[in-house]
Amino acid sequence: MKGILRSMGVTFSAFLRKPVTRPYPDIHKKLPETGRAFPILLWDQSHTEPYCTGCHACERACPVECMSVIMKDNPNHINNGGTSKRKKIIDKFWIDYARCMRCNICVEACNFEAIAMNNTWSGHETSVYDRKDLIMDLPQLLAQHRSGNIDEWVTS
Amino acid sequence: MLINLLVVNPFLDNLLKVLSLVGLMTISAMSLIYLERKIAARFHMRLGPTRTGPAGLLQSVADALKLLGKEDIRPKSADPWSFELAPYFVFIPAFMMLVTVPFTLLLNVQMFTLGLLYLIAISSVSIVGWVMAGWGSDNRYALIGALRAAAQGISYELPLVLAVLCIAMLSQSLNLNVIIESQSTLPNILFQPFPLFLFFTAALAEMNRSPFDIPVGESEVVGGPFVEYSGIRWSMFFLAEYTTLLVMSILIVALFLGGWAWPFGENLGTFWQIMLTLLKTSFVIFIIFWTRVSIPRMRIDQLMNFCWKVLIPLAFLQIFFNGFILVLELPKILLSISSIGLLALLVVIVNKSIQNLNKEIVS
Repeated sequence: MKGILRSMGVTFSAFLRKPVTRPYPDIHKKLPETGRAFPILLWDQSHTEPYCTGCHACERACPVECMSVIMKDNPNHINNGGTSKRKKIIDKFWIDYARCMRCNICVEACNFEAIAMNNTWSGHETSVYDRKDLIMDLPQLLAQHRSGNIDEWVTS
Repeated sequence: MLINLLVVNPFLDNLLKVLSLVGLMTISAMSLIYLERKIAARFHMRLGPTRTGPAGLLQSVADALKLLGKEDIRPKSADPWSFELAPYFVFIPAFMMLVTVPFTLLLNVQMFTLGLLYLIAISSVSIVGWVMAGWGSDNRYALIGALRAAAQGISYELPLVLAVLCIAMLSQSLNLNVIIESQSTLPNILFQPFPLFLFFTAALAEMNRSPFDIPVGESEVVGGPFVEYSGIRWSMFFLAEYTTLLVMSILIVALFLGGWAWPFGENLGTFWQIMLTLLKTSFVIFIIFWTRVSIPRMRIDQLMNFCWKVLIPLAFLQIFFNGFILVLELPKILLSISSIGLLALLVVIVNKSIQNLNKEIVS
């Protein structure tokens, strides 16, 4: 009998508290700083080119083989009358997001800090109608950092 | 002109009343389902439906449309007659109960002199529908659920009737309006708290609501008698369930909380009488939802023991005390004292039995 009254009290105190859930697509929970979504490539604003030199380090490190990298000579190199010190630059880059398991190994392997794990909601909400649409190419991978739409710590 | 027509033509008048009752039934069931989902969600610290319409208000409408559009499937081995007819046997009594429910002094469909007797009689008919549904489905879970519903419904009918009897003795009438009018100064809850507890418990069991939802427990009998039902027939069961919830709550208000009369007397306008009834009814319904989220499901033998060994003997004691006090015209305060004493006795008995149970487990 006392137990019944106590349980009624417990539920009523829960009734008076604020709900702990939120209407998800309308209101987003703040993501933790160390949370990681899919990897994206970073954009060097001072030379208007990607940081990535296409060195294949990440491709070789990737345990699920979700990356494909092709490099080329940098047309913007100092020897060619440009401003950049990068001799080689990325030509084509694909990441299959359907295959990626967000293990962070590519970020660890990168020598130029050119790749990072996305820590914004746009990295998590990648639903598409066709699986093929999850294979991201270079402009798509660069777009987010290029437009500056990214949390600070990703680049550091 | 419309009023003249209604006065002249009783058939038209009754047709209009029946139609408005059907409307009331549907709307109240839909809003009660929405409210139950919202309130239970708040008790769980969730949000409940939010996506359909503003604050999820249209969720019940969407559900109703979905149910209407679903296929009405009958299992091959089911008995066609009892399977197809069972929802009506549950639905029609619930509808008929609404006829004599006291909303206000004047605004009722039909006020019977023996209204309470009628309500009690009609409310137990739905058990037939439950058993028909369980038997006709040719499904073991459905049959177990139906027989549990029958056992529980018939057992808890007795405390319900005995609690009603206490009130009838107090106000010397079975007419609900007379009962309410007799409470215009002091509500019956002050004199009869134990019958209120009896009635509340028995009503929960009658409606198969938690903690007495053994017949429809999803984890034990996967939904009870309506395992095999789908679409419109399934929704009829639920319409009946929520209508019964509404009727039982209004009855509790009428019998114990003074209906439309207490605390403002009988001279209140009809609109305010409706508001008062609605307010009290929503309070009672809130308490029913509250018990639902607070108390876990009882076992069937505990349920039966509680009814036959505790509730019914104590109810007879209350009737005995009531008769004694009323015949000898002793002061009314004795009614309250005896009732509170019985409530305390109930607590003592339940605690004692729990202690004995614990001893058995230990030894």
